[in-house]
Amino acid sequence: MPVRSCAVMAALLAAAALTGCAGTSSSAPKNADITVNVVNGKPQGGVKTYKVKKGGHVHFVVKSDVADEVHVHGYNFHKDVPKGGTVTFDFPAKIDGGFIAELENAHQTLINLQVEP
Amino acid sequence: MSRKRALALGASGALSAGTLAPATASAHGLVGKQDLPIPRVLFAWAAAIVLIVSFVALGALWKRSRWESGVRERELLRFPRWLEIPCGLVGVALFGLGVYAGLAGTKEATSNLLPNLIYVLFWVGLPFLSALFGDVFRPFNPWLAIARASGWVVRRIGGDSVPEPLPYPERLGRWPAVVGILGFAWLELVYVDKDNTVTLAVLSIAYCVLQLVAMSLYGADRWSRRGDAFGVYFNLISRLSPLHWRDARLYARTPLAGVVPLNAVPGTVALVCVLIGSTSFDGFSQGQIWNGSNGGAGLAGRLQDFFTGLGLSLQSALEAAFTVGLLVMIGLISGLYRLGVNGMSDIGERYPASDLSRRFVHSLVPIALAYVVAHYFSLLVYQGQATAYLISDPLGDGHNFFGTANVGINYTVISATQVWYAQVAALVAGHVSGLILAHDRAIAIYAKPSAATRSQYWMLTVMVAFTCLGLYLLSESA
Repeated sequence: MPVRSCAVMAALLAAAALTGCAGTSSSAPKNADITVNVVNGKPQGGVKTYKVKKGGHVHFVVKSDVADEVHVHGYNFHKDVPKGGTVTFDFPAKIDGGFIAELENAHQTLINLQVEP
Repeated sequence: MSRKRALALGASGALSAGTLAPATASAHGLVGKQDLPIPRVLFAWAAAIVLIVSFVALGALWKRSRWESGVRERELLRFPRWLEIPCGLVGVALFGLGVYAGLAGTKEATSNLLPNLIYVLFWVGLPFLSALFGDVFRPFNPWLAIARASGWVVRRIGGDSVPEPLPYPERLGRWPAVVGILGFAWLELVYVDKDNTVTLAVLSIAYCVLQLVAMSLYGADRWSRRGDAFGVYFNLISRLSPLHWRDARLYARTPLAGVVPLNAVPGTVALVCVLIGSTSFDGFSQGQIWNGSNGGAGLAGRLQDFFTGLGLSLQSALEAAFTVGLLVMIGLISGLYRLGVNGMSDIGERYPASDLSRRFVHSLVPIALAYVVAHYFSLLVYQGQATAYLISDPLGDGHNFFGTANVGINYTVISATQVWYAQVAALVAGHVSGLILAHDRAIAIYAKPSAATRSQYWMLTVMVAFTCLGLYLLSESA
């Protein structure tokens, strides 16, 4: 295969790759309002992923039927939640990246939080 | 790394299985911050650049082999041989400190030195250092240092009555290292209790003892170059480095050139495939295809259900699912390479596929490194900072030897965007390096330039596939 046809093939493949993916970039909401119900020590509806734009605000509420400590990793917030109680975290999303919040002692993940740049 | 995801996965797997308890509830992670998936636009641009660079390179690269006739090295400095002794002592001391912390320190993985020492500084830090500065692990290798020291003592006492080491079986090649790396990958990516400090300490001692036994049988030097999994792995990566430590001298050489004379003894191809495959699985096992998304079960959950159906406990079923994933990924990588090699075997001199497989395996070493950099760069940057507080309080019992026990991890030193660019740059650089090495080998072994070029269509396909797979694993599609 001569060099020219290689170049043509490369250009075609590149064009295909670009058009196939254009415009599918996801956009995170500016603020996140998250409420998790912990039932039998686990988040109701499974572990979900929430996105928020960096610089936005995160309002994160955990209602728990078990006593534990809620830990938001990366941001390193810790708050105790009593059995049947509620804790609330309000914070600006100033560090980008993927973080989990978990029931620290049970090592149970509650949510994935993705702060997008 | 997969630690935190394993927790999330436990939840989703349990969900699909009804009322079962989370399978990995006992695992605790080192990782406080994970990488965000690469946006699709960046993914597409990177893939396009890779394709264009590849095809342009086919026509534009040099026509006569540059490296096959030998690599020139320039001596930079000499140093006295006795330096090996303090280096070895430092290695043994660090090993001892880590094991002691694991046995006597806190069980909380993030507050104990040992998990960080093994999973971050040793397993990830040393490949980075080796690629930059050459085989810096070798002088500090604790088991090699112990074996050499005891060999010296035995020879002093025993004199001529000490038996010669056994000849190392050629057929064994690098296979013991393959087994060791596979075992480590299983521990890190599959085993639920991977952060148990006591287990890690016991495994460290067991590995060290095993190496000492093997070194006493086959000779410390010989075994460390063939059988010691970590010695072999770090040495392989160090061959890409512009620095070469040899015979109490430091030499400079062209980057990449050191891997050209790699003697592809049996097991070498398997070693490289296990390295690429295990890193790939680490990426894949963090994605939504494997874990499921927003409460829905992924592949792992379904596999776990299948294995619990066979009567395994939740934890064993999860480990079985991850084992299957790891092995399938390694098989996929090996198969991809084999496919390219088979294609090449029809061309020109018609070298047998097994022969070609060994002749071109060195060109995959930069790709193996690129995968490591792309997946673990941020881990090293963030989790590496934990060393500051761990070294002041290695047991996690409240000491503060160097006054740094309360230093935290700064997650803002690099942004998510910078991580993305570093990941893409690593994969593209690895791709181009592999391409150059394969090209140089092809023009050396094929008499006709046209055959060399045609053989490279196959290698190119393999490498484009590897690089796009690498990009895909980091993207939000996976």
